[in-house]
Amino acid sequence: MIVGGRKAKPLVGIDPITLEVFNHKLSAIAEEMGVVLCRSAFSPNIKERRDYSCALFDANGEMVAQAAHIPVHLGSTPMSVRAALARHDLGAGDVVLLNDPFEGGTHLPDITVVAPVYVGTRRIGYTANRAHHSDVGGMSPGSMPLAREIYQEGLRLPPVKIVRGGVVEEDLLAMFLANTRVADERLGDLYAQLAALRVGAERLAQLVERDGRLRVSAAMQALQGYSEKLMAEGLRELPRGVFTAEDYLDGDGFGRESIRIVVTIRTKGGRVEVDFAGTDAQVEGGVNANEAVTLAAVYYVFRCLSSIDIPPNAGMMRPIAVRAPAGSVVNASFPAAVAAGNVETSQRIVDVLYRALSHAVPGRVPAASSGTMNNLALGGFDAARSRQFSYYETIAGGAGASAEGHGESAVQTHMTNPMNTPIEALEAELPLRVVRYRVRRGSGGAGAHRGGDGVDREIEITSPASVTILSERRAYRPYGLGGEPGKAGRNQLTLPNGRKQLVPAKISLQIEAGTKLRILTPGGGGWRR
Amino acid sequence: MDTGGTFTDFVAVDKAGRCRIHKRPSTPDDPARAVLEGLDHLLGDSESAEITYGSTVATNAVLERKGARVVVLTTAGFEDLIEIGRQQRPDIYSLTPRKPVPLVPRARRVGVAERLLFDGTVATALTDAELVRVGQGLAKLRADSVAICFLHSYAEPLHERVLAEALRAQGYSVSVSHELIAEYREYERLSTTVLNAYVAPLMERHLARLAARTGGHRLRVLQSSGGAISVETASREAVRTLLSGPAGGVVGAVQSAARIGESRLLTLDMGGTSTDVSLIDRVVPRHTEWAIDRLPVKIPAIDIHTVGAGGGSIARVDAGGALKVGPDSAGANPGPACYGRGVLPTVTDADVVLGRLVPDAFLGGAMSIDTERAKRAVADLAAKLDMDVVGAAEGIVRVVNAGMERAMRAISVERGWDPREFALVSFGGAAGMHACELAESLEMRKVLVPLNPGVLSAWGALRAEVERSYVQTVRQIDPHVAALDTIAASMRRRARREIRVEARVGKIETSTTADVRYRGQSYELEVPLSRQLRRDFEKAHERLYGYSDEQRSIEVVNLRVVGSIARRPVVDRVPERAAARSAIHRLYWGGRWVEAKHMVRPSLSSRRCAGPIVVTEVSATTMVPPGWTVRAAASGDLLIERKTSRGK
Repeated sequence: MIVGGRKAKPLVGIDPITLEVFNHKLSAIAEEMGVVLCRSAFSPNIKERRDYSCALFDANGEMVAQAAHIPVHLGSTPMSVRAALARHDLGAGDVVLLNDPFEGGTHLPDITVVAPVYVGTRRIGYTANRAHHSDVGGMSPGSMPLAREIYQEGLRLPPVKIVRGGVVEEDLLAMFLANTRVADERLGDLYAQLAALRVGAERLAQLVERDGRLRVSAAMQALQGYSEKLMAEGLRELPRGVFTAEDYLDGDGFGRESIRIVVTIRTKGGRVEVDFAGTDAQVEGGVNANEAVTLAAVYYVFRCLSSIDIPPNAGMMRPIAVRAPAGSVVNASFPAAVAAGNVETSQRIVDVLYRALSHAVPGRVPAASSGTMNNLALGGFDAARSRQFSYYETIAGGAGASAEGHGESAVQTHMTNPMNTPIEALEAELPLRVVRYRVRRGSGGAGAHRGGDGVDREIEITSPASVTILSERRAYRPYGLGGEPGKAGRNQLTLPNGRKQLVPAKISLQIEAGTKLRILTPGGGGWRR
Repeated sequence: MDTGGTFTDFVAVDKAGRCRIHKRPSTPDDPARAVLEGLDHLLGDSESAEITYGSTVATNAVLERKGARVVVLTTAGFEDLIEIGRQQRPDIYSLTPRKPVPLVPRARRVGVAERLLFDGTVATALTDAELVRVGQGLAKLRADSVAICFLHSYAEPLHERVLAEALRAQGYSVSVSHELIAEYREYERLSTTVLNAYVAPLMERHLARLAARTGGHRLRVLQSSGGAISVETASREAVRTLLSGPAGGVVGAVQSAARIGESRLLTLDMGGTSTDVSLIDRVVPRHTEWAIDRLPVKIPAIDIHTVGAGGGSIARVDAGGALKVGPDSAGANPGPACYGRGVLPTVTDADVVLGRLVPDAFLGGAMSIDTERAKRAVADLAAKLDMDVVGAAEGIVRVVNAGMERAMRAISVERGWDPREFALVSFGGAAGMHACELAESLEMRKVLVPLNPGVLSAWGALRAEVERSYVQTVRQIDPHVAALDTIAASMRRRARREIRVEARVGKIETSTTADVRYRGQSYELEVPLSRQLRRDFEKAHERLYGYSDEQRSIEVVNLRVVGSIARRPVVDRVPERAAARSAIHRLYWGGRWVEAKHMVRPSLSSRRCAGPIVVTEVSATTMVPPGWTVRAAASGDLLIERKTSRGK
C-alpha cells in the first residue's frame, strides 16, 4: 500500500485574506456538526469520551475540514467517503452507513455516515461523521471482545444506503437494531449522527448560496494547498536521513507474544516516507490494525511535530507517504479481528514513530507515554435495577518526559483523549462501586525529567458480570530516552472471599458479585540522567 | 465600579439621575487603593450610597496562583481526584501534554474514612475518632483554609456537615461542597469547592478593608451571574465573583436596551485583547459549564463566548501564506503602533489607516494617535501580502471580523436563533468600529450603542439585582412535576430566608427551573419547572439539535432556584446636547475613499443622519457606514439602522 506523497499544487485565485476567512467558515461548519452530535447522543463513548469526528469534503471527495477530539479519527474518514462512493451513486437526500474495517471503516463500533450536499441539481461536496457506538453486537457486551475473527466482533456493515431520497430504509434499520444489545440507544445515536449531517449540509449550501460555488470551491482547494504547505514546512525542519526503530506489543491474548513493529522513516526535505517493512504478520487475536488506523497514527505524529496549527484536511496528508505491508499487524487483511488495533496497536505505532524520530530530532521528541488505553468492558444483568447493563472505559496513564520537563501524570495520551465517567454517575446507573482512584506514585520512569505517573483504579462489581480487559505494556515497558522506562501496568482481582490474583493483559472472564478489579496503569518513560 | 487589568471604572448616579463617570489606573499590587481613591473622588462627603463592585480580586488570585494555603479533605481513596481531573489533555496535538496545575499539592490532600452511596445511604460511617484524627492532622498542615468534598454529598450532606461544624468550631475557614452546589459530578464540585477555599480568605480581607472605609455606604459585590451579593456572602462564597467583570457589561447592555424597548439582543464587547459576545432572548442566559484557567466552576455565570482577538491583536502572514490576526496582542505595552511605541500592525492600526478612528478625537484628545506610524506598520505587512496599504488594512479588518462573526454565529444560528430578529449592542472601546459590518454579515438591521459604552460594565453593576442561586441534583425519570415542586418549594424557602439577609427591603421574586435531558444523554437543557416541562424541553431540543422524540423517557437531573430583589429604578438623565456640527473626514469603504462626516456624539439628535459618519466620544468611536443611518434615542442611546430600501 502506498498512500500520499504527491507534489504540492500552487494556490490559485484565493488571496491570503480570503483563505483565512474561509478557514474560519469551513472549520466552523465541522465544529457545529460535532456539537450537535455530541450533545444529543446517548453512547457514553460519544458524549463523554468524545470518540467521534465530523468532516466536510469537496466535490471530488477530498477532505476540506474536520473536527475531531481524538486523533485516531485523523485521516481515516476520507477512506469512508471513498468506500461509499466506490459502491454508490449518491443522490440528494441519500445517506450511506458503514463500519466494515475492510471497506472504509476502522473497527466495528465506529459507525460512519456519509451524505452528499446538493445546491439545486449540482453536487458541491459531502459531509460525513463517525461515532463510536456502545455496542454493535458480537460475542461480548461493548463489542470490544477478545476475538479471533471479525465475525465474532459484531455486525459488519459494508457501505449501505440507510436513507434514500430523504426516506429512512426502515427494513435495513430494523435489521441493524436487531443485532445490537441496546437498540434504543443505537437509534438515538444514529439520529444524532443524521442530525449532524443535516446541519453540515445546510451550512455548506448556505455558504455556496452566499459566496458562490466557484469561490467556495476555489477556497476549498486553496485550503488544502495551505495545509499541505504548512505540513511541508514542518517536515523541512527534520534533518535529511533514514531513521529506524522498533518496539513490541506484549501479545494477542491467544498465546502469541512479542509482536514486532518496525518503522523506517526517510526524510526528504518537505516530504517524508514512512515504511513499516519488517513488521510482523497479522495475528490471531484482535490487535491487528487496519490501514486507516495506521495512517491516523502517522498523521498524528507529524501533526504534533509541526509547531504550527495545521487545519486537518487532505492537503495536510499529501507530503506524507506511508507503506504498510498488506497482511501485517499494521495493515491487516480480511477476516482478521481488529477491535484492539484501533485502541492498542495505534498507540504502539506512535511509540515506534517517536522512537525513530528521536534519532532525527533528539531534543524535540518525548519518551514513551503509557502506550495503552487500558480498555475495560463489563456487562451482564443488573438484578437491583432489573435490566441489562454494558459499560466500557479507558483509563489514563503517565505521559513521557521530555526536554521541556516531567511527564504529566494520570492523563490520556497520543491516539486517545476521552474524559472519565464521573464516579457519581457511574454508581447511580450501574452495579459498580469505585473503591479507589488515585495517582500511582512512583510509576513514572526516573531521569533528569521524570516520566508521568499512571493511575491506580479499583472497582467493585456488585452483580455477576462478564469482564473483558484489553491492555498492553504489562510486559514491554514504556521506553525512556536516556532515562528509565516507566513501570509496567498490572491487572488484579480480589475475589469475594478476599483472595487476590493477577490477571493477564488481555482476558475475558466471568466474575461473581462482589469481585473487585484493580488496574494499575503504566507510567511514562524518563528523560536523560 | 468595575476593576479591569488597566483601568478601574466608576459610574455614579444621584437621585436626580445625574450621571458622573470616573476612570483611573488600576493598582494591581493593592487593588483596594484605586477603588478607595476613586470612591473618595466621586462620593466625597455625600451621604449613604449604594455601591456595587465588579471585582477581579478572586480572578487574579487564581490566574496568578496567589490564593490561600488550602487543605482538601476527600473520601479516603480519592485524594488525587483534584489532580486526575477528567483525565483529559487540553491540546490533543501537544508533544508535552499539560493539565492545569492543581491548586492543592499532594501533601495537603487528606483522605477521610467515610463513604456514602448514590442514594444517600451510608456505606462507611464517619466516626468521632476519625473526626479527632482529621483535626489533629490539619493542625500540622498549617491550613489557611479547608475544602471538604465527599462522594455523593449532594444526596446526603450529613458527613460533610458534621466535619465542617467540627472544623469551624476550631476556627478554620471551611468551604463545603454541598453548601456551594448540591450537584452531582464529583470533580467539578470538588474543583468549585477548592477554588472557593483558595480565594475566600483573600476576598474576605480585601472586602473587610473596603467596608471599613466605606462605613456609611451599602457595599455589594457583583457575581458571575450578573446578580449582586452582600460583602458577607461574597467573603464566604468568593467563587461566585470569578467572572463579575464581563457580567456587568451584559447587565448594562440589557438595561440600556430596555430603555428603547429592545429585549432580544446580541452583545459585542470588543476590548484590547479579546472580544466577548452573548445572546439575550429576553432573559440573561446563565450556564455552569465554564472554567477559569481550565479549572471547572459549576457556579452560574452569564453565558459569554470569548474570542481571542481585539483592537490590540497583531496581524501577520504565517508560513502557509494565510493572514492571521491574533492571538498575540500588543497589549497595553507597547500597544498598537499608532500609540507611538509598537511597530507591529494591529487591528487598531488598520482602523486608523482606513479612517475609522479620528486621530485628534481619540479618548477626547487625551491621547494622540500617530497615523504615519500605523501606516508604516501596516505597510510592512502589505509588502509581504503584495498589496497596497489600504488593501492590507482592509484585509486585517476582514480577518478579525471573520473570527467575531464565527463567534456570533456560534451563539445564535448554531443554537437555533435567527439573528435577524435581534439587535446588536456594541460597547467596549473598539466594537463600534466593527459593529455595523458584523451586523450586516448576519443580516441584522439594528445596532445600539449605549450611553458611555466605555464604562458600561460599571454602569451595569449599578443596575444588578440582588440575587442568590441554588441547585439540587434530583435525577428522576419521567417525574411528576408536583413531586419535584415539593423539593423546589423547600429550596425556595431557603432562598427567601437567605436573601432577606442580603437586603432588608424589596419584594423577593423566585424562579424555578429544571435541567432536563432524554434518559441516557449527558447534556441537560434548562427549562422552567412547570406542567409543560416536557413540551418545553422538546421544543428546546428541537431548536438546538433539529429533532425530538416523544417516545423517549426524560430525566430531570437538577432543580435550580434563583431568588432576587429588583433595584429601585433610577431614571438616567439624558446628557446635555451639544450644538450640531460636523467636519469632513476621509473614510475607506467598499474599496475606495469616501467623504464621511465626523460628528461628536452629543451633537446627534433624534433626526436620522445617513452614513458614512464617524461618531466620536470620550470612551469610544463608532463607524456608521454608507447604507446605515444613526440617531440618538430620547434616552441618549445611539440607534444605528440599516436602510431598508436596498439589500445592502
